Amino acid sequence: MPKHYRLPGKKKEGNAAKYMTRSQAVKYLQVSLSVFRQLCIHKGVFPREPKKKVKGNHHTYYHIKDILFLKHEPLLETLREIRVHEKKVKKAESKKNRNLAERLERHKPDYSLDRLVKERYPTFVDALRDLDDCLSMVHLFAALPAVEREHIEVDRIHKCRRLSHEWQAYISRTHKLRKTFISVKGIYYQAEVQGQIVTWLTPHALQQVLPSDVDYKIMLTFLKFYETQLELVNYKLYQSINVKYPPILDPRLEALAADLYGLTRYLDASARASLVESIDVRPSGSDQNEEQQEGTKLEEPELRLAQLQHNLSSSEPGSLMRLVDDVREEDEDDEETKECRNFFKGMKFFLSREVPRESLLFVIPAFGGMISWEGEGAPFPESDSSITHQIVDRPTQKRMFLSREYVQPQWIYDCINFRVILPTDEYLVGRVAPPHLSPFVDNEEEGHVPEYAETIKRLQAAARKEVLPLPGAGEDDLGDPQNLQGIIDRAEEIEAAEKKRKMAILQKQYLDELKMELESCQYHDHSDTSKLKDAEGPDAEDSLPNLKQIAEDAENMSKVLISRKKRKLLEAMEIGKDRKKAHIKLLKERKKKIDEAEKSG
Amino acid sequence: MKTLKNKKQHKKEGPEKINGTLRRIEQQLDQAADKSEDSSSDYDFEVVDNESLSEDEGPPSESGSEQSEPSGNEDVVSSDDDDGNHDDTRNNRKMDGGESDDSREVIEESDSSEDEVAPRNTVGSVPLEWYNDEEHIGYNLAGKKIKKKERQNKLDSFLASADDSKSWRKIYDEYNDEEVELTKGETKLIRRLLEGKAPHADFDPYQPYVDFFAWDDSKHPLSNAPEPKRRFIPSKWESKKVLQLVRAFRMGRIKFDDKPKKESNLYDVWADDSSLAERQGLAHIPAPKFKLPGHEESFNPSGEYIPSQEEINALQLIPEEDRPKFIPQRFELYRSVPAYDKAVSERFGRCLDLYLCPRARKKRINIDPETLKPKLPSRKDLKPYPTTCYLEYKGHKGPVVSVTAESTGQWIASGSNDGSVRVWEVETGRCLRVWDIGEPVQQVVWNPLPELPLLAIAAGQDVFILNTGLGSEEEQKKIEELLHIETPTAPDDSDKNASLISWGPDEKHGGIRLKHFKTVSSLEWHRKGDYLSTLMPHDILPPTLKSVLIHQLSKKLTQRIPYKLRGLPVSSAFHPIRSIFFISTKKDVRVYDLLKQKLLKKLEPGVREVSSIAIHPGGDNVIVGSKDGKLCWFDMDLSSLPYKVLKPHKKDINKVSFHRSYPLFSSCSDDCTAYVFHGKVYSDLNQNPLIVPLEILRGHASADGRGVLDCKFHPRQPWLFTAGADSIIRLYCH
Repeated sequence: MPKHYRLPGKKKEGNAAKYMTRSQAVKYLQVSLSVFRQLCIHKGVFPREPKKKVKGNHHTYYHIKDILFLKHEPLLETLREIRVHEKKVKKAESKKNRNLAERLERHKPDYSLDRLVKERYPTFVDALRDLDDCLSMVHLFAALPAVEREHIEVDRIHKCRRLSHEWQAYISRTHKLRKTFISVKGIYYQAEVQGQIVTWLTPHALQQVLPSDVDYKIMLTFLKFYETQLELVNYKLYQSINVKYPPILDPRLEALAADLYGLTRYLDASARASLVESIDVRPSGSDQNEEQQEGTKLEEPELRLAQLQHNLSSSEPGSLMRLVDDVREEDEDDEETKECRNFFKGMKFFLSREVPRESLLFVIPAFGGMISWEGEGAPFPESDSSITHQIVDRPTQKRMFLSREYVQPQWIYDCINFRVILPTDEYLVGRVAPPHLSPFVDNEEEGHVPEYAETIKRLQAAARKEVLPLPGAGEDDLGDPQNLQGIIDRAEEIEAAEKKRKMAILQKQYLDELKMELESCQYHDHSDTSKLKDAEGPDAEDSLPNLKQIAEDAENMSKVLISRKKRKLLEAMEIGKDRKKAHIKLLKERKKKIDEAEKSG
Repeated sequence: MKTLKNKKQHKKEGPEKINGTLRRIEQQLDQAADKSEDSSSDYDFEVVDNESLSEDEGPPSESGSEQSEPSGNEDVVSSDDDDGNHDDTRNNRKMDGGESDDSREVIEESDSSEDEVAPRNTVGSVPLEWYNDEEHIGYNLAGKKIKKKERQNKLDSFLASADDSKSWRKIYDEYNDEEVELTKGETKLIRRLLEGKAPHADFDPYQPYVDFFAWDDSKHPLSNAPEPKRRFIPSKWESKKVLQLVRAFRMGRIKFDDKPKKESNLYDVWADDSSLAERQGLAHIPAPKFKLPGHEESFNPSGEYIPSQEEINALQLIPEEDRPKFIPQRFELYRSVPAYDKAVSERFGRCLDLYLCPRARKKRINIDPETLKPKLPSRKDLKPYPTTCYLEYKGHKGPVVSVTAESTGQWIASGSNDGSVRVWEVETGRCLRVWDIGEPVQQVVWNPLPELPLLAIAAGQDVFILNTGLGSEEEQKKIEELLHIETPTAPDDSDKNASLISWGPDEKHGGIRLKHFKTVSSLEWHRKGDYLSTLMPHDILPPTLKSVLIHQLSKKLTQRIPYKLRGLPVSSAFHPIRSIFFISTKKDVRVYDLLKQKLLKKLEPGVREVSSIAIHPGGDNVIVGSKDGKLCWFDMDLSSLPYKVLKPHKKDINKVSFHRSYPLFSSCSDDCTAYVFHGKVYSDLNQNPLIVPLEILRGHASADGRGVLDCKFHPRQPWLFTAGADSIIRLYCH
């Protein structure tokens, strides 16, 4: 080990030389614990687990290289400056020099973390890979109230709101959203950006509780880094779709707290603007906008062609490149993105007042649907006859349009998760909706498949079969409940046939076994002279447990020879398996009970 | 009539706070301002009148004091009032004196101003709620109670107020319980007060100041001190301060841009996103991602995920740290899902995990458990071995402790706790012979020589060597000769062994009876059939020499083993080829050379308590069964530690045994099972023995917590005899 890694008077090698405890590190860096904490959070330095804990088990150990890494960080100096500054302010205040104190307050040293973001995530993909916590945190703070006491400032909250909306707008615009899940804890979203799966949790849009046993300073330190990271990521992402960042929002929409919608419109507008420089972005009016939205989709290819020609003639390499990029990007969209883009195509949604607007405003456009809501700034009113679905969450509606379906919000999320336009019958207003299943669970691996998952699987299979011969009419037909009934029936028939086949196999197996058993009994009969003559009756009865016994014996025998270490490992594995099995058993029992109760009641 | 009406109005007013009245007055004033034009004109006129009056009076002279001025005005005003509203005031007065004529007279006497009229009520400034429940509201000057007036109907009072154009002027005097009508001057006063002005219109708060002391013509000033110098020169400290500030400005320490503008320093950090870019520092261990939610976390999970009330209650019994953090719930509507109260706490926990948890790369073992099990040769290739129960030998009344097979394999003998020894024919299960020993039998052993069908039986303190009467006549003769013993054997052996062992004929059964001094636990024949070793484990006797004895049948001699033993002997065995003797104590196995008379080896099985040993027919391998269900295989050439330790049984191993010719060995245990193993020893010394478990033999029932007590292989066939505590002997065949 090089000499400079060694502190004077310290060990030269081994765990004692490689690791130091936290208090040692704090002393070595000559900072306070809180500054050390800040540094660690910003630099992403974490304790390590040495093989041998020299100072004892109850210490936190840091690798000495990590500490040296912190020592050479310029941020350390800034943090020291801040501390000095705080002292100055305090001094001025205690000397009643309010002027000076105020002036000092105004010029508080600040630091930016973009360099650290680059350092921690050398490539963009790295940053995306580690975005889960960042997004969850930013979304949480976007929903928190500003609290003076905890130093949660309004600006930070607003920034978090802005960043989260920007991120959502990007995801929605590029149709990268893959899965959603409404849980008790909030709404989980999963998106796939540049091949990276990003999952984040947003709290429900309600008043959040601020518990008192939380150190908000730590959270704010984390937030500072995450804000920078998300901002830079957003910048890069917006750049990739040729949109100026930070986006300038329509103040009217912003005032209506429809930031997300404003952002989407901005994105649409700027995408168009960048695509077609010659066409001006027309001033935003709610009615016109709609037309334009529809219009652009048709116009796009022609416009592009026109522009391509234009570019060719001018032979401007830069713009051409960009244009090619643009085209390629469209083509590059993988199958899934394409599927997502066209999932809700041709559907128009209207949100009632009681429905959580923010989430649906994000989700529905991400899957290609058009959306409006009750309130100001909405793109189209409730009375629009082309609305296909109205999303409501109230049992009674004052006025119902016959031309549209009234569904609960869960319908949207379920459709998205399973990529099937589910029949709306079960999700009608006032009905008890079917269970909302997590899209993140692999049912087969888990060992227990909820009933509704099976139904959905059948529907998916049916949808696939349906769509294949009639690609145009597939979706509409699926919406028709009668047709759907037919599909379900067919699927059930298929399943029944499968079951019958399985049963036949089992039966055959059983018969074979029985035959074998009988043969062995006969053998006994021939040979046994004394006692086993009457054993035929009980033996036949015992045949099943006997088989079990044999299997168990084989298991035991194989275990006899295993070394102790491996045996322990095996036992540990079995404990885990048993626990899982017990859980599944419990679920099945509960399910049985529920079914019985339903039957009887 | 008018007074009556007024009285009614009084009642309607009721008790009201003074604040309230003031506010009400204000409102009324406002209403009045737009309602009654005549009154307002009246008012205007008054104002004009007042001004003119004050003008008439002229600017205040120096001599006239300020205090006196408003009072003068007031006088004028009041007189004016008297002119204008004479009727009203009179009316008022009437009301004042509504209670008694005397008081009215008094008031009328001192007509000049209201201030001078002493309040009729003499209770002083006490809280009026004290009189809430009383009939009176206080006392007059004469000390008589002043009665409260009747309450007026609300409707009436309202009507009255509507009728009366002056009702807006009337206020209720709580203290005297009467209604007072304000004069115009008074309303004006109140209006001014409400506006925050001085009460009197002609009071000028911004008058030029007039000094009370005339300085000009005074001869001496108040102080004659000369002006100090500092009044004439600029301050040094001020200039210093200014200089400091100027310098600070020049140096840029103080800036005037109030808030330093935050320029957005956004740029593409990953512009040169080359693959070369790598993270600096130590190898980074990324934090694990948070666990994705399962079905149970849904706001509307399917029914099977929701625990019942009993299950939730049962959770309360679990200590808090082990309790599941999340209990699934169901909400009918998305709208009714509340905010998650632990959202912030959980995120905070995650933050703590991120910066406080030591991270280490853990190799996640994702192996198939089957791969952990050793690869064993197929059992089919290792046939034959005993698999199924072929015969049961029933007849004993107690647990069968020991079973032994004759060397030809035609007969077996068994001894039981009921004190009987039986000889059975193997093939048929016929019981050939029964001896009743009388004492619980410890062990039965056939002589290994086929031509000497003798049976050695250990029961209590005796060892019997009995003639089974099998074999041919010649053999029988030989045996009888061998078993013949002169009755006075004891005097022959006059040495000290005589006191321990006595050889004698057994009259009852026709054989030899060796009387020991302690209970014999175990017997073993030497392969040549002449020597017999017995064990007498006992704590009390000095265990040094006497617990292991070797008897020679041909000479009727008894020897003791001249080695020291540590611990109780459990089992003994002769080496099948060489003159080596194995004694196992509870802890270890000692190997002695009988010729050289020295300890060769000490085998350490490392088990809790050794119960039995068996020697491989090759003589180089030993198996040791222990009471913790372990079976140790020793390769004598390798080490004194076991080559392999198996743990087939859950309970004590009672016996282990080797097959004489097949590569089989077995163990039997109190868990009612017997294991059959394949134990192949190769002649090639480089190759380790192959051990494969082959079969678990079941069938015996448990009795008194004991299972299978003994197991022996058939000498020729791969068959196994097991003796159970359920008094049955079973034969397992291939």
